[in-house]
Amino acid sequence: MSLCRTFTLLLVTSLAPMLAVAQTAEAEAANAAVVAPLIPDTTLAINSSAPLSQRVVAYNIDAKYDAVKHTLDGTELLTYHNLTGQPLDRFPFHLYLNAFQPKATWVREAKAIGSRDTRYEEWEEKDRGSDEIKSFEVVGMGDLTSKLEFLQPDDGNKDDKTVVQVVLPKAVAPGDYVQFKIRFHDEFPETQARSGWNRDFVLGGQWFPKVGVFWHGAWNCHQYHATTEFFADFGVYDVSLTLPQYEVVGASGVRVKEVRNSDGTQTLTYHGDDIHDFAWTASPRYRVAEDTFQGAMGTVQLRLMMQPAHWNQEQRHAKILKESLDHFERWYGPYPYKTLTLVDPEPDSAASGMEYPTFITGGTTWWMPAGIYEPELVVEHEFGHQYWYGMVATNEFEDAWMDEGINSYTEVKVMDSIFGRDTSIRNLFGATLGEREDQRLFYIDVADLDPMARNAWQYANSHSYGGVTYGKTACVLLTLEKVVGEDTMRNALHTYFMRYRFTHPTKEDFLKTIEEISGKDLRWYFNQAVYGTQVFDYEVMQISSDPVNWYEKDLKEKKGETLYESRVLLHRKGDFIFPVEVEIRFDNGEKLREQWDGQDRWAKFSYQKKAKVESAEIDPDHAIHLDRDNFNNSRTMEPNKTPARKLANYWSFLVQFFSQFLAGWLA
Amino acid sequence: MKEDTNLILAGLRIASRHKRYIFWFWLLNLTLAEFGTAAFRNRLHAVLDHSLLAGRLLYGFDRGVYLEMVARPEWGSSRGSAVPAMYFAILFFLVTLFCMPGVLDAYTSEGRPSREDFFRCCGRNVWKFVRVLLFYGIVAGLIGGALFSGHVALVKASEKSAYELLPFYTHLATLGIIFLVLTVIRVWFDLAQVDVVVRDQRAVRKSLAAAFRYTQQNLIALLAAYVIICVLGLAVLAGGIWVWHSFVPSGNVLGAFVVTQVMLVLWLGMRFWQRATAAAFYMRQATVGAPVQATADPAPSPEVTLPVVPPVNGAAPA
Repeated sequence: MSLCRTFTLLLVTSLAPMLAVAQTAEAEAANAAVVAPLIPDTTLAINSSAPLSQRVVAYNIDAKYDAVKHTLDGTELLTYHNLTGQPLDRFPFHLYLNAFQPKATWVREAKAIGSRDTRYEEWEEKDRGSDEIKSFEVVGMGDLTSKLEFLQPDDGNKDDKTVVQVVLPKAVAPGDYVQFKIRFHDEFPETQARSGWNRDFVLGGQWFPKVGVFWHGAWNCHQYHATTEFFADFGVYDVSLTLPQYEVVGASGVRVKEVRNSDGTQTLTYHGDDIHDFAWTASPRYRVAEDTFQGAMGTVQLRLMMQPAHWNQEQRHAKILKESLDHFERWYGPYPYKTLTLVDPEPDSAASGMEYPTFITGGTTWWMPAGIYEPELVVEHEFGHQYWYGMVATNEFEDAWMDEGINSYTEVKVMDSIFGRDTSIRNLFGATLGEREDQRLFYIDVADLDPMARNAWQYANSHSYGGVTYGKTACVLLTLEKVVGEDTMRNALHTYFMRYRFTHPTKEDFLKTIEEISGKDLRWYFNQAVYGTQVFDYEVMQISSDPVNWYEKDLKEKKGETLYESRVLLHRKGDFIFPVEVEIRFDNGEKLREQWDGQDRWAKFSYQKKAKVESAEIDPDHAIHLDRDNFNNSRTMEPNKTPARKLANYWSFLVQFFSQFLAGWLA
Repeated sequence: MKEDTNLILAGLRIASRHKRYIFWFWLLNLTLAEFGTAAFRNRLHAVLDHSLLAGRLLYGFDRGVYLEMVARPEWGSSRGSAVPAMYFAILFFLVTLFCMPGVLDAYTSEGRPSREDFFRCCGRNVWKFVRVLLFYGIVAGLIGGALFSGHVALVKASEKSAYELLPFYTHLATLGIIFLVLTVIRVWFDLAQVDVVVRDQRAVRKSLAAAFRYTQQNLIALLAAYVIICVLGLAVLAGGIWVWHSFVPSGNVLGAFVVTQVMLVLWLGMRFWQRATAAAFYMRQATVGAPVQATADPAPSPEVTLPVVPPVNGAAPA
């Protein structure tokens, strides 16, 4: 910050005489080129009087969207501040929309291992997307369009054009600025990976050439994969969008200017501070609701853009948005931006459930009953990404669990707090589902496939990617509460957020913060849970009670008087070692709690009491969420057949009904 | 409208008079379903009987716990539960097909046929009913297939609309039309089955032709009767589910069993009521006489005579 101002002062001082003598037009152009690179210190879009991030980039984009052809033509002036401490002579750029081409890595992977939105059973031209650079100029170095070369750093797929690199004739010195003037043409696909069009709706995500991140001494600019998301530097965005006047538009940042053009178009200008991406949406059918939230750093303008058929759910969406803001502000830290736009995207589009800075998409249907909290869950989750991605900007290519997983953990905490632990997703007609159980279900059948610490595109398949990065991470952090305590975990997350917001922390930054706040060495846990694939599965293998005097021929057992030898055998079925607690209940109402460090494969507890053991249960407080099989965590001496009968009755009812239907219509 | 109502009531009277058939079919339905559920039940007992976690399925229904149960490798594939259920459903269908001639014979007779007569009628008509079923399969398959193709195409086209509810309304409208058309076909074949039993037709095509004429000439009345009964059945089903949900505690297995079985008996009774309505209609036509005379089989079975049924609710023959 002070460096920028000093630099500005020096430049202005040194250039003043030149301006005063009014030299040639060429000199003036050169002058403009030198002054312009300064990245502005604006705070228009944040509730702060000073910038919050180390601003590396400034994007100034002028784009025109053709709503009929679903194409966009844009010019981008990117200013890059070299804060790497070393000269940079090459710059890689993401061209994400090029992922949606049949030979691209994204499509190839989506077909092979699956993706969230499509399996590409057959290729259709409407699935095609592209981001083509028409011209590429580096200010002061000339047109370098011909010098652009596509790179495939991850898989060597020569048909993948999602990363392009330019080598400059002259390196940018440490502390210097460089400006890129890029003219580009976008072709949006029918929504893929939360970008593109459906009917008359469009979501502009990952739509402009975007420079990579120089991180830990090297450029980090991965290809776009079916299971990866994004990584970018913080900066300032000034984006002008020109599109038809009938479009209702929403975007990242704050709207600073609106011009209605004579040709039936409108030009809307947005400004964003301390953000690392910019997304926008347009549809003629949005119904817009405005609301506010009084945050710790100031007022946040909430803008809800709903589908007409979902208008009756507007309050529902506003409520969860404000409750999420409230929880995050109280638990983790302040939300510093002045705006937050929630978009209810086109139904049946692959645009629901996505996060961009100050801009999120939800997902609901017109018939959504009140007892199903899926819309709330999506809104809460995407809002959570304002913290775990938006501000704590981890590398989503390499550490997907750090945004999706930590966010899933905080999602469980917030949803449980609002809707109740066992009913936080569903509470309808007596059927319930809790968010933490849902996260467990996500991961238990891929428990041994991949570690959390793995590049997102290198998981066994998309199911494992999802199960581990979302579900397992949430379960790992929920289980960690048992070791360090719930309050300590909340405190650790708060510290982590406040310390690393507006930076790019690593996995060790996160893990060490937890160790620091808890004051505990947790390597034994992280090595298994984060870096390993050990499976967590404990069981009560056997329980028994026999009279001590079993050998007496005329023994008559009498409750409360006969002495029994009781045994409880615990078994660690998996290879994940974790200390557990077991509760043993006796038929006289007595309860005992025992500890087992889990080091050996099994543990046995024996008792002599005038009572028989009734049941044994591992983790009686239900605090361990990593165990892949909760059914074998307990065992009762006597069978209780009623639950099975109840479910069998359900099944029998369905079988009878189906039989009647078949016979009724055919016979 | 009055005549339609009377037809429905006439059907109800016949079905009530022979309600023992509903009971026996329900008992058979329940017994076969219990066999069909055995594999599922055994799996449930193996997992749930000794686990405290089962409590979350007994007192309430924790969907997460249920999904975890079926996700266990030990649980195996869902085919293991579905296939036996399917076999027993098919068995119920076959038994229904075999026994339906006896039921229709009773519905079109004044008295109560003996057990021997019942099964004799079943045996005599079983092959004819199989042939009727084949015709039904062809007709319903072709028309239903074409309608479903149209339904899919229309829904797909409606999904292009920016009006979000249009696909739903398209679904509703097209499925409603399909239901009505298939009901008409069912009415036609129900009448054909009655005709086969009453006239002991060897050439089922003649019964199909006669039934087609009846259906064609009385389409609205017959369709209305079937639809009204069906709507009543659905109302009973919905009411039963409401009672089940509202008044039966989650852990009360016996209560749930009783409520569900009452629902199923009434649902089964709905279909018998429809058949009885078809029988009542047929007999009214038979009493009028003309169509039956016109298509009389040249070599009727000696022991079968055309039954005489009194006029239904004032709907006296002309």
